[in-house]
Amino acid sequence: MTADEIRAYLEPRRHEFADPRSLVMPALKYAQTTRGHLSREDLDAVAEATGFTPSFVESVASFYDRLYTQPVGNRVVSVCITLSCMLRGSDEVWDHLCEKEGIDHHHGGTSADGRITIQEAQCLGYCDKAPCIQVDADETLGPFTPDSAAALVDELRAAPDPEEYWR
Amino acid sequence: MADYAPVDLTAENLVSFELNGEKVQAPAGTMLVDACHALGVEVPIFCYEPRIGPPVGACRMCLVEVEGMRGLQTACSTPVQPDMVVRTTSELATQGQESVLELLLANHPLDCPVCDKGGECPLQDRTFRFGPGKSRFHESKRHFLKPVELSSRIALDRERCISCFRCVRFSQEVAQDGQLTMQERGGRSEIATFSGDAYEARFTGNIIDVCPVGALTSIPYRFVARPWDVTNTPSVCGLCPVGCNTELTLREGVVRRVSGRDEPNYAVEEGWLCDVGRWAYDSADHTGRLHRAVVRDANGARETNMADALSAATLVLQRADGPVGILLGPAATVEEAAIALDLAGGALRGAVVARLGIPAGPLAPLRATRRAEMGDIDDAQTVIVVGGDPSLQQPVVELRLRKAALRRGARIVTVGSRRTGLADVAEHVDAAPGALHAAISDIAARIAASAEPVVLWDEAELAAEPAAADALATAIAANGAARQIELGQDPNGAGLRALGIPATGLRDALAAGRLGALITVHADPRSAPGRDAWDAALGDVPVVSVATHVDATTDRATVVLPSLTLWEQEGTLVSMTGRAQRVRRGADGPDGAAPGWEILIALGHYLGAPPAYRTPGAAFAAAAKAHPGLGGLTYDDMGTLGAPLPPPAADHLAGDAGESVAAGSAGLALVAVRDVHAGRAAQGSEALLAFHAPAAARVSAATAERARLTDGATARISSPHGEATLPVRVAPGLPDDAVFVALGTPGAAPESLLGPDRGPVRVELRP
Amino acid sequence: MPIMNNVYRQRAAEKPLVTLDDYRAAGGYTALPKALADVEPDDLQYVFMRSGLRGRGGAGFPMGKKASFLPKDSKKAKYVVCNADESEPGTFKDRDIMAFNPFQLLEGITLAGYAIGAERGYIYIRGEYEHQARVLDDAVRQARAAGLLGEGILKSTLNFDITVYRGAGAYICGEETALLESLEGKRGQPRLKPPFPAVAGLYQSPTLINNVETLAALPPIVENGADWYAALGPEKSPGSKVFSISGHVMRPGNYEIVLGETTLRELIFVHAGGLRPGRRVKAVWVGGSSVPVLGEGHLDTPLDYESIQAAGSALGSGGCIVMDDSGCIVRASLRLATFYRHESCGKCSPCREGTTWLEKLLMRMIAGEARMEDLEMMETLFGRISGKTLCPLAEGAVAPIKSALNMFRDDFVRVVENGSPRPEPMMAGA
Ligand SMILES: Cc1cc2nc3c(=O)[nH]c(=O)nc-3n(C[C@H](O)[C@H](O)[C@H](O)COP(=O)(O)O)c2cc1C
Ligand code: SF4
Ligand code: SF4
Ligand code: FES
Ligand code: FES
Repeated sequence: MTADEIRAYLEPRRHEFADPRSLVMPALKYAQTTRGHLSREDLDAVAEATGFTPSFVESVASFYDRLYTQPVGNRVVSVCITLSCMLRGSDEVWDHLCEKEGIDHHHGGTSADGRITIQEAQCLGYCDKAPCIQVDADETLGPFTPDSAAALVDELRAAPDPEEYWR
Repeated sequence: MADYAPVDLTAENLVSFELNGEKVQAPAGTMLVDACHALGVEVPIFCYEPRIGPPVGACRMCLVEVEGMRGLQTACSTPVQPDMVVRTTSELATQGQESVLELLLANHPLDCPVCDKGGECPLQDRTFRFGPGKSRFHESKRHFLKPVELSSRIALDRERCISCFRCVRFSQEVAQDGQLTMQERGGRSEIATFSGDAYEARFTGNIIDVCPVGALTSIPYRFVARPWDVTNTPSVCGLCPVGCNTELTLREGVVRRVSGRDEPNYAVEEGWLCDVGRWAYDSADHTGRLHRAVVRDANGARETNMADALSAATLVLQRADGPVGILLGPAATVEEAAIALDLAGGALRGAVVARLGIPAGPLAPLRATRRAEMGDIDDAQTVIVVGGDPSLQQPVVELRLRKAALRRGARIVTVGSRRTGLADVAEHVDAAPGALHAAISDIAARIAASAEPVVLWDEAELAAEPAAADALATAIAANGAARQIELGQDPNGAGLRALGIPATGLRDALAAGRLGALITVHADPRSAPGRDAWDAALGDVPVVSVATHVDATTDRATVVLPSLTLWEQEGTLVSMTGRAQRVRRGADGPDGAAPGWEILIALGHYLGAPPAYRTPGAAFAAAAKAHPGLGGLTYDDMGTLGAPLPPPAADHLAGDAGESVAAGSAGLALVAVRDVHAGRAAQGSEALLAFHAPAAARVSAATAERARLTDGATARISSPHGEATLPVRVAPGLPDDAVFVALGTPGAAPESLLGPDRGPVRVELRP
Repeated sequence: MPIMNNVYRQRAAEKPLVTLDDYRAAGGYTALPKALADVEPDDLQYVFMRSGLRGRGGAGFPMGKKASFLPKDSKKAKYVVCNADESEPGTFKDRDIMAFNPFQLLEGITLAGYAIGAERGYIYIRGEYEHQARVLDDAVRQARAAGLLGEGILKSTLNFDITVYRGAGAYICGEETALLESLEGKRGQPRLKPPFPAVAGLYQSPTLINNVETLAALPPIVENGADWYAALGPEKSPGSKVFSISGHVMRPGNYEIVLGETTLRELIFVHAGGLRPGRRVKAVWVGGSSVPVLGEGHLDTPLDYESIQAAGSALGSGGCIVMDDSGCIVRASLRLATFYRHESCGKCSPCREGTTWLEKLLMRMIAGEARMEDLEMMETLFGRISGKTLCPLAEGAVAPIKSALNMFRDDFVRVVENGSPRPEPMMAGA
């Protein structure tokens, strides 16, 4: 994404903040929508559009789980593994998805075809739907069984990618 | 590393409180850690660094008990309050301190035997004194690839990092280069630059000094020495007139490291150094170092020993057809200059002594106004920088100005012809090159309207505009509380002037054929501004050159007497704020070389009229008696932090005025900057490879276009004083119709374009 | 549909009130006009104070009292910040207030803004709640169009607007000073206190920070009077509270109860439908995961701040996680340790290093690689962390695990001896 595009996005929001630094996070989230992650160029563009240094912008991005400074799959599948979900079978869901996609159980990762990233998430605030899964920043779904979770991933793979990646 | 802020226990606003059962006193509002330190009670710390900024409370090392407050408090962020009861060694406090240390060590590699910091490491030291003994946590530690290069000068060992944030805060809040940040989160946190780019900026080395563990180390120093086989000597940097206080680390007679002092000089550099001052020490040994004396005659040049060369020099001087000239370079020490003056009154009676620099006359009234020290910038609400660009010429000044702007919201105003290194924190008043006078009423109005302003002024630019200098002096004097700091050009310009040494007179005498020989002391007139005029004036006059490195003058000198450098010899330098500070002997230097002061004393002996002293100390003492400008100071007065000289009188050196050459208005204004990054020391340092850049003429895009030149093309530049050929660099932030050059870059000669007495110059730029 | 009685029921009973008309039809936006017409800002603060409303974000600090800490004579802008970061494990109440009743929150924030003299409010919402954030965005648009936000609200002199600010995945941003850092565009790392946000908060200006549920309670309080609210529940814990309940219960969800009137047993067995047949309660984390764990013996504790505290835990966020006797307390502890290790911001050393070590220690126990000394070591570790850190996150990591070790020591001993195989979870549909 270019600095100009980011500037255009930020412009109507600028007056809402007494300090332009507050625009860094919205800018990062927006910059991420084209590629699904933040490339070096994206970070540079955010730095240019907001007036802060690239290093600062990267330090902010790297702090937050949902800002990706490394490439991820076309769809990011977050499997909640925190206590309530664990009690309801999230480990079984996790293991099944990792196995199905050929992904390392310990760290998660991206499927070989680059389409699907499976990652552990901490409590998503949908413990009443445990075990729950969030795809990108879509509304969290649940409860899942290992099989229904696998079916979800198959659906995602078959479906067209979203136009913008909000993660 | 200045772990604790200085505390004045004799201040007026002392309050009483109880510390470990004793009634004590400290100024209200002092942070507890600092008060304790001043009172002789150590509270261990890691993240606190008062020079970097307000406490962040991150490491939690400084936990103490304060009665009435729940749990433990961080002493680094708890101010002293009347009647508080503090326990730093109670069971609870000790348990707190042990806890933090044990946890820090849990993930620390404990590779002290191979760590450059081993033996001088606060973590090691505090573990020993405040730790729980052995850590009982035996999980696997976190692993990183072994040291990565943060830049070509600094290595980062992430396993050793304790995430104290000092280095990133230095980058963000002190240097404000914004390049070094903490990345990732939690246990994965690590310090890093953008995408792993090199950390390149003007002050990066200070992060090594502030790191409380061995995570950041100087690459040239890596594995070179261990703390127990080195000695440390306090000294002063001789590369620019700020006069930063340094510490030289020596091993086997060689300087291995230059760092900021543990006990900084708050009046000067506050413990910070610029990267040139920190790393250029290796330039002392770079190619061109004079290892042996040289004598030149009709048969050519031959190397010889010092005694032989001194005899040859004696012959030259004795046979001279007329009086002798002695020319002192910009960094010649007070001692060397004083001995030269003594020679001129004794063995070389009638000798004409001058310094290579800018005539003092036009600046005399300005220099006589109320002077400030760098530390005074800390209290100023308004700072006005008139001309120049301290970031390039007197680098550490930049950090003081940034501190004033960021930490206290002081208003910084720069006046001049271009974007300076302070552009992001300063308000800028534009003045065309050589036209400060046009902005002077604006400046005067700002000075008048400010409560206690500090005015920083550029020696070269104001000397070129005497009317502006006078007006500035008047404006400063008119505001009874205003003070000024000279942004000088020469590392010891103030010291040489204090001895009454003018910049003018000698060259005219040479040109008029009145002198029979010339002694140069760390002076290279053949490369200096006005070099063509110097060449013409020198003609065939025999030269005896006391020098450290080969230069244009030693190349043609009859006798070259190899001298030690400022990393190797004793002496005194007077900073631009008038502070006399001692340079200490560090490295041994080449066997064939001798200290400059010793060479000059020896010359006196050889000439049959030795001065009455044998040591630099005695030479200084004699000088202090003879020259009121030195204020009767002694080495003892100077101690390790130096002492201010009395301010010069309004007519001091008033007659030291060069020919005033009108620059006219045709052509482009020439702005010559003494950029320490472009100077010989930086360009000759291997450690500072990142700063190596060929000399260039920098112009705006429009100026280049008008001269039908493109970026990188070679330009022929001519002025009334001479010609130079330089590649063109098109740079942003420069005014049109001006050419910017850096002085002192080896191998380039923009100095030809200048007049020897400086002053305004206009040039023609052609392909 | 969440089951919210009393305070939130009024508006959220039938269907999501996501249009202004529906909210108005349900009686919304009556408190704000009333306050603007009849109540001076200082008096409004007094109403808050008298209602006895306590913060619902975790610490339970009296809301009106906090508002009164903001300096009255400050020349700086003031702000209201609504903490919608809701990331405490087991907690999902704010989610439903925002999704089903966004206008009640906007009205509450506006009332708070009016009371303290602020002109802008921010809702800092966790990035994962993008859906709720869009609902709020839309509600803000509608409110603005209707003159309920913006300049001269309801033709009064009140200027007030609200910005919805999205986080990006970091639990620590729920801690109020970390939230402010994040809202200022930085890494969300807590600040040293003092100064407190009331004095130097957002952009170093006086700032009132409250939880979603706290602020959403303001309209009914203003409408029905402080006395009405104060009369609900016990004197020191007045009002109603939404409990999120999850884990091994049959009907997980949000239940609003009047504080002090319902016991933990009733919450689990009446509201949440109890456990699977034949199962018994093993452990309950009643106020989110950062509180000491309770056991079967505590089930008759009434749900209010004081009673839960007396039982040895805390009401916290009201995120109640229930584990039956099929679960392993050591595994549950490890899962929480992992959470805190992952979420530690890394600023202060005892938390950054301590949570890392705690997780490693528990991992070895689960794997059957630990020794009995490790239990003592873990106790030492609690002491090494507790009371040493910059913010309460690390305390939150210690509390549930330390209490678990105390209460279920036998289980820990057994796991150290034998390791812990993964138990059968309670699967969907079970
Ligand atoms: C680690 C940590 C996480 C927190 N997370 C939240 C949160 O998600 N939502 C919330 O309202 N308060 C949270 N808090 C509490 C806030 O710091 C603060 O006390 C609260 O927002 C104040 O609002 P209240 O008085 O209305 O409860 C958290 C505190 C800590 C220490
Ligand atoms: S590298 Fe050194 S100064 Fe920087 S955070 Fe780590 S320990 Fe602190
Ligand atoms: S306790 Fe943990 S989360 Fe809180 S400041 Fe320290 S490291 Fe950050
Ligand atoms: S534990 Fe998974 S959503 Fe809360
Ligand atoms: S020195 Fe006080 S917290 Fe680090």
